[in-house]
Amino acid sequence: MKSLFGRRSAIVTVAIAAALVLSGCSKSVNDSAGGASGDCGSWAIAMHAWGGYTASAQVVTEVAKQELGCTITQTTLDEGPTTYDAMEAGTIDVIIEDWGGGRWKDWTDRGAVVEAGENGNIGIIGMYVAPWMVEKYPDITDSKNLNKYASLFKTADSGGKGAWFEGPAGYTTIGEKMVAANKLNFKVIFSGSEAALVDGFLNAEKNKTPFIGYAWQPWTLHSKLPTLEAARVKFPANDWSKPEEASGLTDYPSTPLIKLISKKLNDANNPFTSLVKNFKWTNADQNGVAADLESGMTAEEAAKKWIAANTATVNSWLGK
Amino acid sequence: MKVRKSYLLLGSVTIWILLGRLLHGKNTLQLDTYENTSFTSFVGQKALDLRGNRTESPAFIYFFNPIRGVIDGFVQLIRNLIAVPAPNSVIPVIGWLGVVGIIAFAVYATSQWRTALLSVSLLLACGALGMWQFTMDSIAMTLAAVLLSLAIGIPLGIWAGLSDRVLKILTPFLDLAQILPTLVYMAPIALVFMIGAASATIATMIYSIPIAIRITSHAIRNLNQSPVEAAQSMGSTQKQTLTKVQIPMAKQMIVLGINQTVMAAVSFVVVAALIGAPGLGKPVIEALIIRNVGQGFVAGFAVVFLAILLDRSTSAAAKRQDSFIPPTEKQIKLKRITLIGSALLAVVSVFLSRTMLWAAVWPKEVSIAPQVAKVTNNATAWILENLKIFTVGFKDLISYSILNPLESQLSASPWYVTVAMIIALALIIGGTRIAILAFVLAMAIVLSGLWYEAMLTLTQTIVGCLLTMIVGIALGIWTGRSDRAERVLRPFLDAGQTLPAFVYLVPMLGLFGPTRFTAIATGIVYAIPVVVKIVCEGIRAVPHSLVEAATAAGSTTRQIITKVQLPAAKKTILLATNQGLIYVLAVVVIGGFVGAGGLGYLVIVGNSKPELQGKGLIAGAAILLLGVIFDRIMQAGARRSS
Repeated sequence: MKSLFGRRSAIVTVAIAAALVLSGCSKSVNDSAGGASGDCGSWAIAMHAWGGYTASAQVVTEVAKQELGCTITQTTLDEGPTTYDAMEAGTIDVIIEDWGGGRWKDWTDRGAVVEAGENGNIGIIGMYVAPWMVEKYPDITDSKNLNKYASLFKTADSGGKGAWFEGPAGYTTIGEKMVAANKLNFKVIFSGSEAALVDGFLNAEKNKTPFIGYAWQPWTLHSKLPTLEAARVKFPANDWSKPEEASGLTDYPSTPLIKLISKKLNDANNPFTSLVKNFKWTNADQNGVAADLESGMTAEEAAKKWIAANTATVNSWLGK
Repeated sequence: MKVRKSYLLLGSVTIWILLGRLLHGKNTLQLDTYENTSFTSFVGQKALDLRGNRTESPAFIYFFNPIRGVIDGFVQLIRNLIAVPAPNSVIPVIGWLGVVGIIAFAVYATSQWRTALLSVSLLLACGALGMWQFTMDSIAMTLAAVLLSLAIGIPLGIWAGLSDRVLKILTPFLDLAQILPTLVYMAPIALVFMIGAASATIATMIYSIPIAIRITSHAIRNLNQSPVEAAQSMGSTQKQTLTKVQIPMAKQMIVLGINQTVMAAVSFVVVAALIGAPGLGKPVIEALIIRNVGQGFVAGFAVVFLAILLDRSTSAAAKRQDSFIPPTEKQIKLKRITLIGSALLAVVSVFLSRTMLWAAVWPKEVSIAPQVAKVTNNATAWILENLKIFTVGFKDLISYSILNPLESQLSASPWYVTVAMIIALALIIGGTRIAILAFVLAMAIVLSGLWYEAMLTLTQTIVGCLLTMIVGIALGIWTGRSDRAERVLRPFLDAGQTLPAFVYLVPMLGLFGPTRFTAIATGIVYAIPVVVKIVCEGIRAVPHSLVEAATAAGSTTRQIITKVQLPAAKKTILLATNQGLIYVLAVVVIGGFVGAGGLGYLVIVGNSKPELQGKGLIAGAAILLLGVIFDRIMQAGARRSS
């Protein structure tokens, strides 16, 4: 027993040593594979939690890889401070779509993160009812009538009031203020993720059950529920020049979405920097790619499909 | 005495319910989600300052940042070896064939050819699922965390094994680390070490080091003392006794500790992705985001395969020396020849994986991922389609009959009434010391300003634990009484323990919608395996003579279970309840992602909104306090019942 074990560890040691020596001196496969790394270098894009973001990020990734020969890694991260921190630490270089409306200010003030312009998408946020309800109760899209229908929205979880499904954690949400200021007989339920909302809207539409929830544009759900936009509940307008003071008697403002890059990428000022700075497309573009993604295409395929169909736009980003 | 205790419990609960009804809605400490107290904004401001200071403060420059740098470098080194392209290269140092060869050889060398074959098949299965690189990343992360955990845990464990004082100092921390829900401490770690591999590794280590320490010290303490005493009486120094007698004797147990440490690290693979860890967690989380159940399961299967692979290969190494029959001359020779053969194979495969592209990068064409995803997607769609009527009905039934009344009792009663009730419970079950502890911790929650949210989370945890115990005790009795039942259930229990909760969070969402019950159901699925295993062991530990005596006296099966086995296993069942509660709590807070609200949602929202960061950090602490209160009460109860 003892001798077997002793002998065995000797063999193990020799074999591992041999493997290490081999891996040190054998001709690397790199020569045959031929890596195309130009002067672009290697960069990291943050991947945020929604389908539309994936579409934008993947298109930028594919263009950077194919046209510029960059090495791009994608890192899944929560939006907001965690990602800004990662950019400051040097592990993330690009946020391709930020809805935060200036919450990055602490980081840009320090010079750790740099604004890289708008990405062309306009973010619209609002409270939407399930589209079938608009047909049955045409006046439901006026916020003044919501209380009339509140009892329809009751669930086991809403404590006798209507259930108001608020947006995912990282998103801009003012539901509690809206409910309080409009004296709505609703209970705010924090749905916590995009998946929860998609599930809520789709089920409500399919089973004709009442549902009111947070939704936004651009969003893939619109391709599945084409009449969703008409089901938006309109709240009294308010002054949004000072968002922190907004009373809540109001709707969400539309937000041009912003790109952010790391100081490192900004300083590098190479073709990838200008690609990210020039990247700009429409809500329809993004919804199209995102819809392909939802229908089961891989991100890579969906992005390549869009790139092939839109060479002119891609060339304009590349400055060709 | 026994009877009086249960009367006391019943009495205090009744008073609590009556007072709660009477003072309904008063002093509930309810706070809007977006409202801060002066304490939460203070903590939030401190956290913000901390972020700003990272480039200037000496604590960061000389302490935290170097640690981060070293760990990041270490992880990157291992990743370059097997997972990601090495510097100036398009492939890792060792390609897939090389990794397969090395693992096959290493497992064969430390155990038997069957385990080696199993390991290789599991590894290839991960590749076939299209998850090769993610799997390698996870292996690299796990390896890094385990190596660092062992480097710290084994020496500390040996020390704690030799010195009572060290053990006494360490024990509270070890207990705490086992209660700590993973979601809770990721935010503080990311705050200090930032998002990325280093934070993920450190978070994993916090989870796995206590296990290494515990088992190592246990191994040293439970040695047969006579050889130790003999060595001492012959004049060995303490160091000699340790290195020549104690450690060699405890070796096998320590290897088991390595196995448990590895398993703890693997179970962290998915959660770690929330703070930027590369690996299998990434596709799992992404699947939750885009609601792709199939993709989630594909990645989830890979996690399970990886867990089985690491479990079997490390536990086989621990068991290897069990056999007392010395191998014959021929067997030794045969083993030696096959060992050399497989070593050669490993070397050749490494060589190939560095020179041939097909052996370096896993071929994309060899993938069954789309098929697996499609099958699971279809299966889930079918289940959702056909079971939804029942699941929604069941959800509503539980919600109206248990969840809502309990929530109203806990969250709408004045805080001082509920705190008084908790203290009364602690006093009756655990005694004065536990009652004082419960009072201090409960008051800490009150003062943090998050009492109301804590009560929401507590409601979900209690309901989840209740349902878990109903199912868990039933299955535990069944498996405890029948070997066949255990054999049938075992694989499901093992898989249930390794399958990350995030994987079935999405199907649960489909079944129950964005509700509190989705969180509860996920918690139940997560907690049942461990409860079943503990109850099963408890039933099996009941002395046979007792059961036989009862059988001889003509008891029916039901009488044997209720009058003999359950009472005899009471302590174990209490411990199982405690584990169930802690497990449910750990997962219920993830329910914040699917509409369950409570403290878990505050933790999640605190991660992404600067203005709520303080509240999120405190919510994490409150989850921990809740866990500790109930863990202590129940542990004390279990101790007293024996």
